[in-house]
Order: sequence, then C-alpha cells, then structure tokens
Amino acid sequence: MTAMTLTEKIIARAAGRDAVRPGDEVWAAVDLAAMHDSSGPRRIAGILEQFGGRLWDPQKIVLAIDHFAPAANQRHAEIVKLTRDWARARALPQFFDSVGVMHNLLLEEGLAHPGTLVVGADSHTVTAGAAGALAVGVGATELATVLVTGQIWLRVPPTVRIHFEGPLPDYLTARDMAMEVLRRLRADFAIYKAVEFTGPAVEGLELDERAVLANQAIEMGAKNGIVPPSGAVLERLGPAARAQGRPLAGDESAAYDDEHRIAMASVVPLVAVPPNVDNVVPVTALAGLELDRVYIGSCVGGKAADLRAAARVLRGRQARVPLQITPATRRVVEEALRDGTLETLLASGAIVQAPGCGACAGLHSGLLGPRERCLGTVTRNFPGRMGDPSAELYLASPLTAAASAVTGRITDPREFL
Amino acid sequence: MSGVYEGRAWVFGDHVSTDQILPGAYLDRPMEEVGTYAMAGLDPTFRSRVQPGDIVVAGVNFGCGSSREAAVMALKQAGVAAVVARSFGRIFFRNAINNGFPAAIVADTRAIRAGDRLRLDIPSRALVHLRTGETTPLLNLTGTSLEILEAGGIVPFTLRRLGAAR
Ligand code: SF4
Repeated sequence: MTAMTLTEKIIARAAGRDAVRPGDEVWAAVDLAAMHDSSGPRRIAGILEQFGGRLWDPQKIVLAIDHFAPAANQRHAEIVKLTRDWARARALPQFFDSVGVMHNLLLEEGLAHPGTLVVGADSHTVTAGAAGALAVGVGATELATVLVTGQIWLRVPPTVRIHFEGPLPDYLTARDMAMEVLRRLRADFAIYKAVEFTGPAVEGLELDERAVLANQAIEMGAKNGIVPPSGAVLERLGPAARAQGRPLAGDESAAYDDEHRIAMASVVPLVAVPPNVDNVVPVTALAGLELDRVYIGSCVGGKAADLRAAARVLRGRQARVPLQITPATRRVVEEALRDGTLETLLASGAIVQAPGCGACAGLHSGLLGPRERCLGTVTRNFPGRMGDPSAELYLASPLTAAASAVTGRITDPREFL
Repeated sequence: MSGVYEGRAWVFGDHVSTDQILPGAYLDRPMEEVGTYAMAGLDPTFRSRVQPGDIVVAGVNFGCGSSREAAVMALKQAGVAAVVARSFGRIFFRNAINNGFPAAIVADTRAIRAGDRLRLDIPSRALVHLRTGETTPLLNLTGTSLEILEAGGIVPFTLRRLGAAR
C-alpha cells in the first residue's frame, strides 16, 4: 500500500480512491461547503439560477453573516438583508446571523470534522484544518458549482511538514509559531502545497491555538494547513466526528516534500512589519515604536484563547492607547464573561465590539486612517487591508498586543509576564 | 486566434495582494462595477491608462491573500486580457481560470519592461517577448485547469459536465 500523508489520505477518501500521489488531479466529494455574506448569496444566487436553483445538500451548507455586520452603511445593510432573506427562503439549517466569523463557527459548532473535505468561499477556510479536516478556500463562483454538484476538482498537493520541538514558553502563542515559520520560509514557500504542523509544541495546543497555525497556512501560500488531531482536541471533537473510518493521521513512512524543525526555545516574540506578513522581526527590534492604537480581533486573533492571553498581561494594568477588541464569535464573549476575562479587559480600558470580522477586512468598525499606526492580532497587514493604504499595521500575538497597549509602544510581553 | 493574446505589458512586483488589486473599501459594490477600481490599492492611475488587451505581468505570488473573486473581475472588466507571473496565490489562479481569464506561469518575468509587447500563446504553450524576441515556455495551464479555461470558466464547464452525465 502506498504510504500517504494525512492530506493525501483525506483526498483519496473523498475521491473514492485507494491512493493518490502529489500532482494527481481528482474530483472529490465535498463533506461541507461554507460561505459568508460577502462571498455568498449576493455573488452566487444568479449562478445557482443557471443550474435551476437546486442545492446539492442543504444539510452540508453553512452560511454566516460576518463580514458586513454590523452594517456601516446602506450598501452593507442591503447585503446583510439579501443574505438573510436567501437563507430564510431555503430554511438553511446551518445559518449564522451576525453571531461570529464563519471560520470560528465551523470549529466552535463542531461542523468541521477530522478527516473530511471542507470547501469554503474565503481564503481563511484553511482554519478548519485545526480539526484535522482538509479545508480549502475557493472563490464564490467555484463554491456555487460545489453547492450544485457536491464536488470539486483538486490537484493533490505535496505536503511540507513543520515540526515544532520542545514545549511552548508562556510568553509565546501559536501566532509566534506561525510568524516564525513565515520569518524563516517566507510567504510563498508553500504555494500549491499542504502544510502539516506536528511536534510536542503543537500537541499541547488547544483547538483555538491550532486554529492559528491552520489559519496562517494561507499566508504561507498553502492550499491547506492541517494539524493531525490528538489528545484533548481529539476528545473534544467527539466520537461522532471520528466515525466512518476517516483518516486522523498520515502514515509513518509517508513521503514529505520537505520537513522543517523549529526548536521552540529558539523562538522569541515576533512582529510582522507592514507591508507583508513575512516581514517578521523580533519584538525587541521594534521596541519603543509609538502606536496610535491596538486592535485585538479577527478569525485568527479574536478567539477565546486570544482574549485570555491579552487578559494575562492586562490584569491590573491600564491601556495607554485605544484598545479595541472584536471577539470572533458571540460564544467568545460568553466564555470571556464566564471566566472573568471580560472584566479584566474592560477594567484595563478596552472597548469590546460586536462579534464578527470587525475592521479586519477594512469594511467597518474602526478602519485605519492615513499614516495611522496600529498593532493588531488580525490576519494580514497588506497595504490598505484595514483602511488607508498609507496606514501602518503591525501584526503580533495577543500577548504582545496587550503589552503594547499598556505602554502605547511596541513592547515585549516578557516585560509583563 | 483563440487562446492567443497580444498586448502591452503592465509590470508589477512580487506579492501583489488582492487587497491591492481590489481594496476592501470596494467589496460592497456590485460585481458589474468593480472594474472601475482595478488596482486602486497599488496604482490609482492604472484604471485610466490601461488599454483593452493589455497584459499584467508580475513576480511571485500575484493575487495572494483574500479569496475575493472581484480582484479577477476588476482586471477583466478593466480590459486586461491576461496575467503572467512567476507564481500565483492559489485562489486567485482558480478564480481566474473559473472566469475564463488566463493566468499563466513562466519561470522568469524580470526582463519584461512596462510597455513591452507580449504574445501569450496558450496552444503553443509559450510567452513571446516581442521586444527581445525571446520565447519562454508556460509552466501551468494543463489538465483540468486548461479544460475549464477553454470552456470559458467553471460555470459553462460544469453545465457541460452535468449535461454529459445526464
Ligand atoms: S476575520 Fe478577517 S481574515 Fe477572518 S474571515 Fe473575517 S475578514 Fe477574513
């Protein structure tokens, strides 16, 4: 039998084949298709009509209003309304109306199962790789064809393995791990490839933190990022998720395209300097740089684990610059309320906004003005991503973001831990 | 002349993101209008100077980032005939093919200057640099992606596929 990586096994299963090899092109059966208010009904309704309007399997379709809510203007409001009307007219069973970011909901609601093929009309669909799914992003038109046929064509990607050795120090988060990968290997090392994250530092991560690694795979250029489910995460994903002989791990002797080992002891808190996600330097190299404000939010940096990390630094301290927090989902707010995180954040002077994408895609809720300098936990720092093209958006972990909010300057979180 | 595109080069660098090709500020516009904002995040004069049939040339990772299909549609509506790069953001590439918009990979684009005339010849699998006379082989556009491109996009391709299955 051919030895396969986890990504290859999932594609083989979805394609109904015994084995696949990198470079093979297959038609694969999709287990779950996801879209949101920006990529969803407004873009695909007309295309679906060309196919007679019938959906392949409404049970396997997820729709979330996350990008344009809360609506900043009439155009946004119309998009939100159109999306809601479309979902209601079809009585779509998995419709999430302005309660959080699609990617986080797929994990939180247990919709993305290990060993399955998830396709979503958004680049950060890769986030569901945190649950051991093969999750790939596509554009709206292609998603429309998936909604009709339940199938997608895939070229089997070679897999690159990133192995993190040693435990994760308490001054680092998974965001630093992802940025270290981008620092060493740059933003295009994984184009058309799969990235698999393994090693002791990964095994110890909760689902929220695994989501960071999977999420940032797209910034590495990858087709998908995947974390083989293990330990407490595997338990949490539940017996139903593990049913039907779905693959949970690759074969020991599987061939990787490349393997990189990163010793956690050699990693320091990092910052990605605009205008690119791989322009990564140690926080110490920028320490003292004055900020206009700090933003904690998005599918990668607005999860419960991120708010808790920020609270570790902010407990008993005050933010000196505006600190804006956009929780990824409503449940993140609930969890933060339950465990006291929310109280700590509010006591530090932070403003907590409605859950969703927030300002991350440059649509509403706190855009950056000309030359405004912000440090954020969001996904990307491309020019104009979160507002004016001349704004400077630095990316960092929630620990570094919180420490920087306390001083109003880019600050090493180790000073406060 | 199907699959052959001859036009003037617009040259951009590495890692041009879809946030630059079609900034988020215009994401709320109807798809038919996005051409007005093509490359607004990179070169605000692009839209007024681009000519129908022009070819966008870039370095590595063109179209990285957001999956917004509007980035492809903006270039297409602005009259751009094709994009040639050393590599593409994977979703941008699929979006291009899915909309019948050629996105060709060649080993190197660094000798191409703004305004140079190029011929992208997909049937012959070559990019011809008309100023230097140099011919470079295409490295992608094979298999399923070529079939989808030749069908004019994923919608006509899928309609045909479903028809054949029936
Ligand atoms: S939070 Fe940002 S990166 Fe994530 S889906 Fe929303 S806009 Fe995209």
